[in-house]
Amino acid sequence: MERDEIRVAVLRMEGTNCEDETVKAFRSVGVEAESVHVKQFYSDMIRFEEQRSIFDYHCLVFPGGFSAGDYIRAGAIFSARVKSALRKDIEEFIKMGYPILGICNGFQVLVELGALPGFDEDRPVSDKPEMALAINDSSRFECRPTLLKKESKKCVFTRKVNKNTVMFPVAHAEGKVTFPSGKEDEYVERLLSNDQIVFRYVDDKGNYAGYPWNPNGSYFNIAGICNATHTVFGLMPHPERAFFGYQVGKREGYGDGYCIFRSVIDYLEKL
Amino acid sequence: MYRKVNVPFELYEIQILTASDEELARISEEMGLALNVDEMKRIKEYFRSKGRNPYDIELQSLAQAWSEHCCYKSSKYYLRQYLLEAAEADYVISAIKEDAGVVEFDDEYAYVTAFESHNHPSAIEPYGGAATGIGGILRDVLCMGAQPIALIDPLFFGNLDTPYEGLPKGTKHPLYLLKGVVAGIRDYGNRVGIPTVAGMVFFDDSYLTNCLVNVGCVGIVKKDKITHSRAGGPGDLFVLAGGKTGRDGIHGVTFASAELDEKSEEEARGAVQLGNPIMKEPLIHACLEVVEKGLLTGMKDLGGGGLSCVIGEMALAAGYGAEVYLDKVPLKEEGMAPWEIWISESQERMMLTVRPEHIDEVLYIFQKWDVPATVVGKVIPEKITRIYYKGYKIYEMDTEFVTAGPEYCRPYISKKPEKELHEEIEPPADYVKVFMKMLSHPNVAFRDWIVRQYDHEVRGSTVLKPLQGRMNYETHGDAAVIKPTKSFKGLAITADVNPWMCKIDPYWGAASSFDEMVRNLVAVNAIPHSFNDCLNFGNPEKPERMGEFVECVKAIGWMAKGTAIPCVSGNVSFYNETPYGAVAPTPSLLGIGVVEDVRKAITSDFKGNGIVILVGETEKEFGGSLYSVVMGQRCHRVPRTSPERLKAYTDAMLESFKKFEVMACHDISMGGLAVAVAEMSFGRGVGFEAARELSFIELFSESNTRWVVELKAEDAESYVEFFKNRGLKAEVIGYSEGEMLNFKTFAIGLGEADKAWRRGMSEYLV
Repeated sequence: MERDEIRVAVLRMEGTNCEDETVKAFRSVGVEAESVHVKQFYSDMIRFEEQRSIFDYHCLVFPGGFSAGDYIRAGAIFSARVKSALRKDIEEFIKMGYPILGICNGFQVLVELGALPGFDEDRPVSDKPEMALAINDSSRFECRPTLLKKESKKCVFTRKVNKNTVMFPVAHAEGKVTFPSGKEDEYVERLLSNDQIVFRYVDDKGNYAGYPWNPNGSYFNIAGICNATHTVFGLMPHPERAFFGYQVGKREGYGDGYCIFRSVIDYLEKL
Repeated sequence: MYRKVNVPFELYEIQILTASDEELARISEEMGLALNVDEMKRIKEYFRSKGRNPYDIELQSLAQAWSEHCCYKSSKYYLRQYLLEAAEADYVISAIKEDAGVVEFDDEYAYVTAFESHNHPSAIEPYGGAATGIGGILRDVLCMGAQPIALIDPLFFGNLDTPYEGLPKGTKHPLYLLKGVVAGIRDYGNRVGIPTVAGMVFFDDSYLTNCLVNVGCVGIVKKDKITHSRAGGPGDLFVLAGGKTGRDGIHGVTFASAELDEKSEEEARGAVQLGNPIMKEPLIHACLEVVEKGLLTGMKDLGGGGLSCVIGEMALAAGYGAEVYLDKVPLKEEGMAPWEIWISESQERMMLTVRPEHIDEVLYIFQKWDVPATVVGKVIPEKITRIYYKGYKIYEMDTEFVTAGPEYCRPYISKKPEKELHEEIEPPADYVKVFMKMLSHPNVAFRDWIVRQYDHEVRGSTVLKPLQGRMNYETHGDAAVIKPTKSFKGLAITADVNPWMCKIDPYWGAASSFDEMVRNLVAVNAIPHSFNDCLNFGNPEKPERMGEFVECVKAIGWMAKGTAIPCVSGNVSFYNETPYGAVAPTPSLLGIGVVEDVRKAITSDFKGNGIVILVGETEKEFGGSLYSVVMGQRCHRVPRTSPERLKAYTDAMLESFKKFEVMACHDISMGGLAVAVAEMSFGRGVGFEAARELSFIELFSESNTRWVVELKAEDAESYVEFFKNRGLKAEVIGYSEGEMLNFKTFAIGLGEADKAWRRGMSEYLV
C-alpha cells in the first residue's frame, strides 16, 4: 500500500480526549488520519456524508481519555458500545491483518473488549475480558515520565524502535496490569512464549524496578502488550506525548514516540 | 406580603408596594435575596412606576443581577479608579468587558484568559465546589469561541498541622479540604482533557475557616472566530445547550456574596452545583464546531445567576431585549417553580444566539455529539425582557433596570504597617536548623503530591512541565510553557501571590506579588504579556477590609501601568470572612508571557559545572518573609519594588538570554536566595559551592526583582559585565557542583536537604 493511501481512524466518544494529538502524530508521518465518532459507524441520525465504515480505514486507534467518564471500570462503556455494534467488523478487521492501537484508556478499552491479550487468532475478540487494568498501587492518578524496555520483536507497532529503552509519559489512575488471581505466571508464560509482551517499565539503569519507575504496580512490570497476531497493541504510556522533540525537552527532531507511528505505517506500506 | 397567583403552577406576587422598610428587609431575608433595604426600596420605586407588584421570579432575578458576585457593587468604583486604565495595550483585543480577556498571540491567533474564585462552594463541599470551579472557568474561555488549552489553580488552606480539637464549629479540616479540592480539580480537569499546568498552594491560619480556590483557564482562538457575549439582532433564537436545569446551585451568587458561618453547611449545600465533565467534554467540541462553521451570532456561558443573567445581558449588549419561553427549558426534576428554573446555576450549560436559517444545522451538530440543545427564546427589538410560562406572562422588566446594579463607594481605612509593627530581625543562632525548617515548610516544600495528580500533558502541547529536572526527582519550574499552535511560539503561564506580605502591608505585598509574577515569566525566557487578577478579600462593609482591597488594587494598577503589562480580565471575591476572621488579603495574579521560540525556554534545575550568578539587588527586607515566620521575628518592611526597576531588569534578563547560553534560571521568592539555590540543586542532584561567605540577609531576605542564573564558566565575566553596563547589578556567587549546599556561612549535605524538602508537605498527605 502506498503511504498516501493509508487511512487511520482515531475513534472518539464523549470523554475521549487525546484524539487531536494522536491524529496529529499520524498526519506527521504522512498518512491521512481523522477523529471519528463511534456513532458515525452505526447511528441512523448521522448524515450520509458523515457516515463511516470501519473498512474505510487501515488502522484503528482507541485514544486516551475518560470515555463516558470511566465512572465504572475504565473503558467498560466504550468497549460495550463497540462490542454491541461493531464486534463482527472488528474481528474481520483484525483477521485481515489490519492493526489496532489502544493508548491508555484505549488499552483499557481493548482489554474490556477482549481484543487483548487476544490469544485466539480465530476469535480475536473474546467473549469475556481475560485481564484487567486495576487501580494504581498508589491509589492516585499518576502523571509522570516512564522508561520502557522494548521486549517484543514481532509487534507491528515497535519494529522500527531501535533503542533498548524509550521514554513515554503516563497519566492514569487505573493502569495496573492484573491477571486472574493465581494464574498470573501462567498468563505471563503464555504472553512470553508468543512474544506478546511489548514494553516493561524499567528504572534509569535499565532494571525492572518498583514505584515510581513502575508507576502503577503492574504485574511483571508490564506497560504494554499485543495480541497473538502482533497487530493489536495496547499500552498505558502515551507515545503521542513523546512524538515531537519539543514535547520531551529536545530542541530538534522527534521523541521516542515517533517510532511507534512510523513502525505501523511501515507495516501497512508492506501489506 | 405574599399572594399566590391563580395559575396552574407555583407563582407568587410579592406585595412590596405597601410594604414598610422592616417588611422589605423581611422579604429579602425570607426569599434569600441578600438585598439591603435601600436596594429593596429602589425596586419598590420601579414597580410603583409600573403600577403593580413584582412576581417572585422578578425579585429573584434582580437579586441575582444586583449581587456582589454579579455586579461588583463594592469594587467597581475602585477598580475603575486604579485598574481599568491598566487594561490598555495595542495588542489587547478585548479586556474586562466580557467573561474572558482576549489578547493577540500572532497574526492568525489570539489567546483568551479567565480567572476567578470558587471559594464559598469549596469551603462547604470541596470536591464539587472545586470541580465546578474548573467547569465554570472552562466555559468562560469557551464562550469566546476558544479551545481551552490550560488550567491553573492557586489554592489556599489553613495550616495542615491544625489540631482537630481546635477547629471552629462547622469548619472542615485543611487536610480534608485540600484532598477534596485537589480530587475535584483532578477528576474534572483530567476527564475533560485540559492540562492543569500551573498553580500554587499556600497554607496560613487565616484560611482555616475560609479556604480559597481560584481557578484560571487559557484558550486559543483564530482571530476571525472570536465570538462575543452578545446577540446578533432581533429574530435571533436563544439556544440553550448542554446539561439540564435542576435545583442544584440555587442562590449560588447570593450565597457567595455574604459571610459564611457555622450554619452555612446545612443551609447552603443546595447552592453548590454539581459538575459533569462528560457532558462538558462533548459540549466543548460541539460549541467549537458551530463556531468553526460560523453558525452563531453570539455565545455566553451560564454561570452565576443562571438564565436570569445570561439572556438579558446578551440581548442588552447588542442593544435589544428578549422573549423567553421558560417551559421549554429541559429540567432534571419535576415541580420546579419558574423562579427556580430562571436562577438555577446547574452546570455545563451554554447559551447561543443563532439566526433562524442556521438553527437546523446547529441542532444537528449538538445531536451528533449527544448534547441536548433547545430553543428557549428570541431576541426582540425593544430593551425589555419578557418571560412566558405555560402561556402566562410572568415577567416583564426593562433590561437596563435589571442589569444596572447599584454601585457603592465604600469607606476604607488603610493600614500603616510601619507605625503598627516594629522591626526585630536578627541572624539565626543555628543556620542549618533554620534552613531545614524553611525547606520543609509546607509553603516551600515539593508539590509533586498535587502536581502529579493533574494530567499536565494531555493535548501534547506542554513544552515546559511544572516539574523539571531528572526523571522522578524533579524540582519546581517557574512557569509552564504551552505550544498552542503549529508555530514554535509559546505561552508561559504562572500564578502568584504572597499572602503573608499582603497581610502585613497590602500595598507592597500586592506589588511584590506582581513582581514575582513577572519574575517567573522572565525566568523561563518569556516576555511578560498580560495578566488576570482574582482578588480575594473579607467583608467589604468593614472599612479595614475595604482598605486592604483598595491598597492592593492601587499597587497592582501602579505596577501594571508602569511595566505596560495589561490587566485583561479578573474577578473580585469579597466576604471571605467568618466570625473567626477574614482571609489574608489575597490578590492572586495569573501571568501570561509570550515565548518567541518554545525550544529556547529555560528550566530551573542546575545542569552542573557552571557558574552561579545572582542578578538583582538585595536589601534587608523581611516583612512577610519565610525567615520571619520560621524565626517568629516580626518585621514590617515588606520588600519594595518599582515598575521602572522591574522593567529595566526584565529587559536586561531577556536580552541576556539572547546573548548568552543560559543553562538554568530561577526567580528568588519565598525563602530568599538560599531556598532558590537549593531548589535549583534538587532538580538534578547538583550541589552548590558559594564563592564567598553569604550573610543571613543575602541568604534569606526576599527582596524583589532578583534571579539566580547558571552559566558556563567562560561566559560568567561578560554576563556580569553585561548587567553592569546597564547600571544593573549582577554578581558571581558560586559554582554548581559537588554534593553539598555550601553557602560558606553554613553547609549541609544535598541529600539531607533534598529529603526534608521532598517530604515537607507530602508527609501530611499519605
